[in-house]
Amino acid sequence: MRKIWAVIRREFVERIRSKWFWFSALLGPVFFGAMIVVPVLFAGAGGTRRIAVVDATTGAFGERVAAGLRHGKIFRATRVPAGAGVVDSLTQLVGAKQLDGFLILTDAVVETGTAEYRASNVSSFRDVAELQDVLARLAMAARLERQGVDPALVGRAQLRISLETKKISGSTTTGESAAQSFALAYVMGVVLFLVITIYGVNVMGSVVEEKTTRIVEVLVSSLRPFQLMMGKVLGVGAVSLFQFVLWGLGAKLLLSQRRALLADLGGVEEARQVFQMPHLTAATLGVFLSYFLGGFFLYSAMYAAVGAMSSNEQEARQAQQPVMFLLLVAYVSMFGLTNNPESTYAVTLSLIPFTAPIAMPVRWAASTVPAGELGASLGLLAAGIVAVTWMAARIYRVGILMTGKRPNIKELVRWIRAG
Amino acid sequence: MSSAVLVLDRVTKRFAGHTAVDGLSLSVPRGVIYGLLGPNGAGKTTTIRMIMDIIEPDEGSVRLFGEPGTGREHSARVGYLPEERGLYRKMRVLDLIVFLAEMKGVERRRAGAQAAAWLERLGLGAWRWRRVDELSKGMQQKVQFISTILHQPELVVLDEPFAGLDPVNTQVMKDAVLELRRDGVTILFSTHIMEQAEKLCDQLCIIARGRKLVDGAVADIKRTQTGHHLVIGFDGAPGAAAQLFADKRVVRKLDDYGQYAELELAPDADPQRLLAALVSSGARLARFELSEPSLHKIFIDLVGPEAATPEARPHPGGPRA
Repeated sequence: MRKIWAVIRREFVERIRSKWFWFSALLGPVFFGAMIVVPVLFAGAGGTRRIAVVDATTGAFGERVAAGLRHGKIFRATRVPAGAGVVDSLTQLVGAKQLDGFLILTDAVVETGTAEYRASNVSSFRDVAELQDVLARLAMAARLERQGVDPALVGRAQLRISLETKKISGSTTTGESAAQSFALAYVMGVVLFLVITIYGVNVMGSVVEEKTTRIVEVLVSSLRPFQLMMGKVLGVGAVSLFQFVLWGLGAKLLLSQRRALLADLGGVEEARQVFQMPHLTAATLGVFLSYFLGGFFLYSAMYAAVGAMSSNEQEARQAQQPVMFLLLVAYVSMFGLTNNPESTYAVTLSLIPFTAPIAMPVRWAASTVPAGELGASLGLLAAGIVAVTWMAARIYRVGILMTGKRPNIKELVRWIRAG
Repeated sequence: MSSAVLVLDRVTKRFAGHTAVDGLSLSVPRGVIYGLLGPNGAGKTTTIRMIMDIIEPDEGSVRLFGEPGTGREHSARVGYLPEERGLYRKMRVLDLIVFLAEMKGVERRRAGAQAAAWLERLGLGAWRWRRVDELSKGMQQKVQFISTILHQPELVVLDEPFAGLDPVNTQVMKDAVLELRRDGVTILFSTHIMEQAEKLCDQLCIIARGRKLVDGAVADIKRTQTGHHLVIGFDGAPGAAAQLFADKRVVRKLDDYGQYAELELAPDADPQRLLAALVSSGARLARFELSEPSLHKIFIDLVGPEAATPEARPHPGGPRA
């Protein structure tokens, strides 16, 4: 037992001492800080568009649209009467970056609901949504007025609805919005994927190092291969937990300074709207950590086996691709999981041990997972860890003493059976 | 043999398709330097790995210190230096030695103090906080040797300890081995270099293709394998030389020149008794010289030229023999 402890400590201390560890410890909060600050910057000064409204309508519709756009925060719109060569000269202005774009209005807007927007950037959903919203509202008003409806009535009829979303978690309503749920689920998925992969590869590298230097022979002559493997996995696991603690502390510090940070950027109110801290309950944290640990144990056992069957770093990097692919299945399904957390696909992914470490926390954050499903998923994961570790340990035991070419599947099966 | 530190009893290890070690028995008495000799691929490393409990024999048994228990259970009493040695390149020297000592069950604090003392003694005191990859190869070999013996083992197992060493470090290693024996440590080492073994070993075992060809004390092996080669010069009186030389139980081959004779003794004949008989029969000797055949010659005779060059490995994926 004391020997396993020494293995754990070595893995932990050597990693904590590396520059790489502190680099990523710092990088985490920086990334987190960027998540707060960047949307604010986008929403702030950089967001206005200078556009022209080319008015070929009969009546005051063009001027109304220009005014309507000016009323919003995004566009600085100027009405330009249509005429020969106007479109060409505006196009040149856009080319010279003196104008962001122009909107061409004809009577068709009111009659059939078509208009044209030409700009250097037409992929901004926000811009297009705002244009459509303003045009639709004004075109509707114009049509109604033409039928003799009182403009004041039209105004009242067009009352806009602001839909507030709140997630029900268990049977209590949280203050969480759809965007927040999504953000939390997404961030958790990304972090789980990255950290499980990074630390799994760490375990693999450590195995390969001991194998290529033959230190493993000295170690295995004094403790069992299984003990060595477990010591390694636990040691690296402890490093990853320590990393999380550091990230948590960094994030907490940043959050407490959020006001000051945002005040410097000059947009506290806007920032509040853009970014609100997702609601992180103890239960969510518990689910996150359970699945992280489960996923880490499952995958690092596989990575250890991959390391043992490879005779150098390059070979290991190739051989780990199938392992990485397993985890990738859940990762690439993340959008599907957040959009439809109750679908058969999502439920299946969150039950299979190989995908559950990412799929279940994502579902958990995005919706309400029944306790039975959570229990079944955790149970299957635990069983998966036992089975995979058992197989990995057998591959590991034979593999660490092998040199020469990598074994094929048939040989691997024989390794697992032997002993 | 109760004083034996290590006994192998009909140990066999098979890997897919070939037998690496085949019914090998040997016994290593306490306090000797024991050589495990054989050409490449003879099964030396596999044998050592079974002794160290890194792999289990398919048949037969390995017994350490005359006590029950596996090699792993006795690991605190055994030091092991594998072939093709390496270290954790990024670790600091002192930390590394302490870690490897902990693996042998040495308490951490004690390991630290002893490691520092050893580094000082081998002139590496200033390097203890450096990373291993900053050390020269010779220094790394010293570090390895320290970590093999820091826990004061009773048995030290060295797999090809002289392979890849320059002449200076070969000397250092040889001195270290002799010093260990002076301290009462039993040393088992494998080699395919006969000259080394001939100079160092008290006892040895020659294996080829996993089988034992011969084992025992070096002098016994030389005698039993080819008998003694003897050169005798007379100073006038040959005494009863002619009768003595005619005894086929003593002399196997004779080349007599009258005042000078070259003879090959029978395997069991004792040259000392022949000398005594000659002198008591009145012969005056100018020269009585025993020339032993070299271990190298014995090795080639036993192993045969075809085994000295290892056969192609049937399974490149299999472990080294």
